[in-house]
Amino acid sequence: MNQPIIKARGLRKAYGSTLRGKPVVALDGVDFTVGAGRIVGLMGPNGAGKTTALKAILGLTPFEGELSVLGRDPRIARDQLMSDVCFIADVAVLPKWLRVRNAIDYVAGVHPRFDRAKAEDVLARTEVRRDSRIGELSKGMITQLHLALIMAIDARLLVLDEPTLGLDLLYRRTFYEALLNDYFDHETTILVTTHQVEEVEHLLTDVLLINHGRIVLDAAVDQLPNRFVQLVTTAAQLPAARALKPMYERELFGRHALIYDGCDPAELQALGELRTPSIADLFVASMQGVRQ
Amino acid sequence: MNAQAFKTLVTRELWEHRSLVWAPVVTAVLLVVGTMLSAQGTGSVQIDLDGRESSFFLALSTDPKVSSQLFGIWTSSLIIPQAFVGFLVIFFYLLDCLYAERKDRSILFWKSLPVSDEATVLSKGLTALLIVPIWVWLLSLVSGLMVFGIVAMKVSGTPLAPLGDFHPLVWLTSQVVLLQNLLLAALWYAPVVGYLLVASAFAPRSPLVWTILPPVLLVTAEKIVFNTSLVAGFIAHRLSGFFDHLGGLLTHDGEQLSMPHVVTAIDEAYRGLSAASVLGEVELWMGLPVAAALFWGAARLRRWRDAN
Repeated sequence: MNQPIIKARGLRKAYGSTLRGKPVVALDGVDFTVGAGRIVGLMGPNGAGKTTALKAILGLTPFEGELSVLGRDPRIARDQLMSDVCFIADVAVLPKWLRVRNAIDYVAGVHPRFDRAKAEDVLARTEVRRDSRIGELSKGMITQLHLALIMAIDARLLVLDEPTLGLDLLYRRTFYEALLNDYFDHETTILVTTHQVEEVEHLLTDVLLINHGRIVLDAAVDQLPNRFVQLVTTAAQLPAARALKPMYERELFGRHALIYDGCDPAELQALGELRTPSIADLFVASMQGVRQ
Repeated sequence: MNAQAFKTLVTRELWEHRSLVWAPVVTAVLLVVGTMLSAQGTGSVQIDLDGRESSFFLALSTDPKVSSQLFGIWTSSLIIPQAFVGFLVIFFYLLDCLYAERKDRSILFWKSLPVSDEATVLSKGLTALLIVPIWVWLLSLVSGLMVFGIVAMKVSGTPLAPLGDFHPLVWLTSQVVLLQNLLLAALWYAPVVGYLLVASAFAPRSPLVWTILPPVLLVTAEKIVFNTSLVAGFIAHRLSGFFDHLGGLLTHDGEQLSMPHVVTAIDEAYRGLSAASVLGEVELWMGLPVAAALFWGAARLRRWRDAN
């Protein structure tokens, strides 16, 4: 693999001073690496530390530990970094008073790698009018505009923080379709956070699951079948299945589903049906595993 | 950051704060329309030109030096209402400029682009200190000529006709002096602008309260503890000290309206149009590093201040 796009070592962030009582630890010594051309899903429940991790990567918050994004320290070089990094925090951040035309003018004016013709082209396929103010657009249209701006920037890293929050199903679907069809070229790296796991699981190449400020799972999607297995079994087989130390179990209509990490499938085969758990299954399994 | 990108940043400020552009325009239009209406209406120039005063005005208006100086003074003073409106919109602009972007979370959009916090703060400071004042000056130049034209038509054929004479050199000089005054004022008020930027970048809510409260508390505390008013004096000097360098017509108020006095007063007032003497004030120069520190502080605040 090439030089990593993001490399974090012992990344730590606590909010609140010690004077006001116990600080809240948002990131508790996190290590992870994101390689070039990957589509990484950073997922976790609310308050797990996702947004803090993204803010650190984007140079929006100070932190402790080591973090290198495209070879730069985001604490001191946010503005240079943003020549190569794009991000959509969520749909609400485009200012209401800005006109669509001026939004394009502005990005064209300050961004050295913005292709105006491309943005105009993407926007022409939508119903967004040039002389509208952002405040007059629907949430879906604002996202289309933001996406048109982002897609016209030749970036190396795209960061999406809950990009489809508050959008209806139609826009949510087309958002990721547009992103994959028109944008992703296997050179750009995409880091996306969401808690709607089902929405993104078919497009990810890697998953990073985070909970209580710690990484609980860091794996390539194509490695998941080798590592995780889900067993569906009956109550009679349950003691034997439990003896093999599942990371998670649940009961469904009288049947039991157990998920194993790094267990030999040959041992499990006799106990019931085997299949590869989905990312959503692993998400739930990892989160509950930590809670116990 | 190249010049093109910086120009975009300043333009952005004018998109967001349209009052910076339009309030001075409206003032200029009102000034011209107001002059036009009062010139048309029944309120024609009614000056009782009897006896002594008649010869007095005649003498004033026929003395070429006095008449050109009077021309310079009254055409320059037309900038006053526009400068006042400009001052108001700039003040509220500065309070808002680093606060609103946090309040509506658009700061996250601005920060997603390759623009440093320093360049952002500088673009806002320069909009307040240079761009808007120069715009006000340009508008006052144009509207001043129009007001002059209206007045010249009105006084033609009256004994005040010499007031309608155009003195190109004096006009040019006084316009240059006005521009120079605006630039000097920018130097003098740079620390005040820096302070407002810091307040705007810091305020958790209501930047106006956060702007006014610290100096009021300081002044009150000093008064209670030491029974002195050094801070108040310091602030008052920074706010109004610039105008001490502008001469005024009012200094000779109440004196006998006698010829030599008036001629001296007009001469002094004409010279007093320039605030260049402020350059001799050590506080002007001491304010500049303070302004730089405050600008830097505002950029630091913007860098790590969490969007709500």
